[in-house]
Amino acid sequence: MRILVIEDEPGIARFLKDGLEEEYFAVDLAFDGKSGLDMAILNEYDLLIVDWMIPGISGIEVCRQVRKAGIDVPLIFLTAKDAIEDIVFGLDAGASDYIRKPFAFEELLARIRVQLRRNSPAGDQLTAGKLSVNPVTHQVFCGTGEIMLTPKEFSLLEYLVRNKEKVCTRSRIIEHVWDIHFDSDTSVIDVYINFLRKKLDHAGCGNIIQTIRGVGYIIRES
Amino acid sequence: MKKNSGFVREHAGSVQEKLSLSLRSRIALYYTIATAILLALVFTLVFFTVERVVYSHFDDELDREVSEIIRAQPPGTPGLRHFNLSDDDHRTDEADDHEHRKPHDGKVKGEDDDEEFLQLVGSEGKIIARSANLAGNTLAFQSGRKEKRYHLAAAGRIAVRQVQVPLTGTDGKIEGYLLAAVPVRDAVTILGDLKQVLLVSYPAIILTLFILTRVIAGRSIRPVEEVIAAAEKITRENLDSRIPLPRNHDELRRLSVTINSLLERLQDAFQREKQFTSDASHELKTPLASLKGTLEVLVRKPREREHYEERILFCLKELDRMTRLIDQLLMLTRFESSGMTALMEPVDIALHIREAIARMHSDAGRKNIPISFEGPQSCMVSADPAMLDMIFENILSNALKYSPPESTVAVTLSGGSGSLLCTFADNGMGIPEEKLSRIFERFYRVDESRSSGTGGSGLGLAIVKKLADLQHITVSVRSRTDCGTMVELRFPVT
Repeated sequence: MRILVIEDEPGIARFLKDGLEEEYFAVDLAFDGKSGLDMAILNEYDLLIVDWMIPGISGIEVCRQVRKAGIDVPLIFLTAKDAIEDIVFGLDAGASDYIRKPFAFEELLARIRVQLRRNSPAGDQLTAGKLSVNPVTHQVFCGTGEIMLTPKEFSLLEYLVRNKEKVCTRSRIIEHVWDIHFDSDTSVIDVYINFLRKKLDHAGCGNIIQTIRGVGYIIRES
Repeated sequence: MKKNSGFVREHAGSVQEKLSLSLRSRIALYYTIATAILLALVFTLVFFTVERVVYSHFDDELDREVSEIIRAQPPGTPGLRHFNLSDDDHRTDEADDHEHRKPHDGKVKGEDDDEEFLQLVGSEGKIIARSANLAGNTLAFQSGRKEKRYHLAAAGRIAVRQVQVPLTGTDGKIEGYLLAAVPVRDAVTILGDLKQVLLVSYPAIILTLFILTRVIAGRSIRPVEEVIAAAEKITRENLDSRIPLPRNHDELRRLSVTINSLLERLQDAFQREKQFTSDASHELKTPLASLKGTLEVLVRKPREREHYEERILFCLKELDRMTRLIDQLLMLTRFESSGMTALMEPVDIALHIREAIARMHSDAGRKNIPISFEGPQSCMVSADPAMLDMIFENILSNALKYSPPESTVAVTLSGGSGSLLCTFADNGMGIPEEKLSRIFERFYRVDESRSSGTGGSGLGLAIVKKLADLQHITVSVRSRTDCGTMVELRFPVT
């Protein structure tokens, strides 16, 4: 899962990046509205976290422009404003949710999860066949046996399971699992897929990840 | 006359009730009272004038009659016994006899205007003679009066106007009285009618007048009520609406204009208050959010010692920032609330400027900005030294904050006519002209994103302005975008 944080306050931007990366998210940072908007439109993010008051284009304007560009990505506002009309204004401008500063990091994580499970009605638990992935606890089970994964392996598996039955192209995998600083050498995906396959096979889940030659990978229920 | 308008009924006590009469009722009431008094005077005057005119007419007639009778007495016949009551001019002896032969039916003819009643009374009040038409009735007599007396009386059942004339003998002693009277029935009826008309019409006129005035007053203050209704609709939520101006350029229009400008100021104040709260909350919550988040993320997992140290140092810096902000905020609040006064004393301003520049040395060195000073070696003004230092530091730190590295900041001190001028000029980013007027507002930042990169909070210039005002120093700022900003302090020279 890849998140863009648009926040000019260096302290806040830094802890968001640190904390979210520890939660296996790929995090990009933008420190002003203009570059934030460019990044949001150019790259495919799973979620945007936007501060209201940022230099250049305001957070509200970023939100409007993103929606105008037809990007239906979940967007969470960070704001020090607490007047109800401000909140309403922000939500009406196209924000999915807002969180008031100062906020608890756990609350932000919970709100991010809410936004990310919008498309999967089953809730936080993701399953594919015998395999179940829990994005909250970062645990993966094959039947009842837990599989220990590294953060990157987990992110990759989570992305594939979230998009099960759909072909995940190599470029999309790179976009959603690695952050912007990753150079586009996609062979790293094959390395991680290999690790994953070995661990899943060892746990008894079989070869659930299938290769679509020249395109990418897919996880199928059966 | 008590007229209650709707809301008056809620109040008890007559004083309060009177005070809370609606304006239109009050206007009507005062107007009616004034008219009532005036009208009562006019009516009384009319009535008594008519009465006097009518009776003086009778009195003249009586006078004529009496003097004729007295003149008709044969000269040299003293004593009342021989006094002849008949009037020779138009009454013969026969006529007199004829009259004496009238039957005593208890009714006096008296309908005739010409008819007079006459009666001769002795000095002791004994009736000596009376005219036949009195028919046994007597005219009222009051003894002991030495002068003529006109009054209303009754002869039997007939209302009369009568006169009592003392008759004096040759020795000047009163021998008796001649009483003469004429019936005044018609006159009394007319006067009575007049009285009745006046008495009935009076309250009717007053009542009509009150109602009319109230209606007219109501119509003329209707625009006022429209203004009230419009003003009542304006609340905190729709402070931007205004009272529609009446077409006529009269007092009401002035009232509306005044209310509108009051609303303008109110809205402005609300807006500024709201902006202040929003800015203050941003300035305080941002470092808080940064602190809270950093620490929360820090304790989620065990980390390297260096990582802990680095984050804790960062948190301490954020805390310093917050402390500085809270200090500034409290200082401003203290200046504004407690009516703090400056402790004015002779101060060497040149020395203070040089000291302030020296204190900024490390900040200036970091951006490699030299601060030059041009002015006399020493220059005395009356000021509060502590406040002066704070002003210089704030202005200089602003100049450093918003100037690019390697630029310059120049401070000059020069004496003008009657004042002392101190200028601080930088080559920084400048302030757009439309924002110049607001830079002294608390928390106002030219950069709307309130970026913390420069380290400012927007309180510095507000403090400068406040401190300068306390010491009667005039602060003005001139600026051109991308060229630089010049802050001028004008000290009064006493």
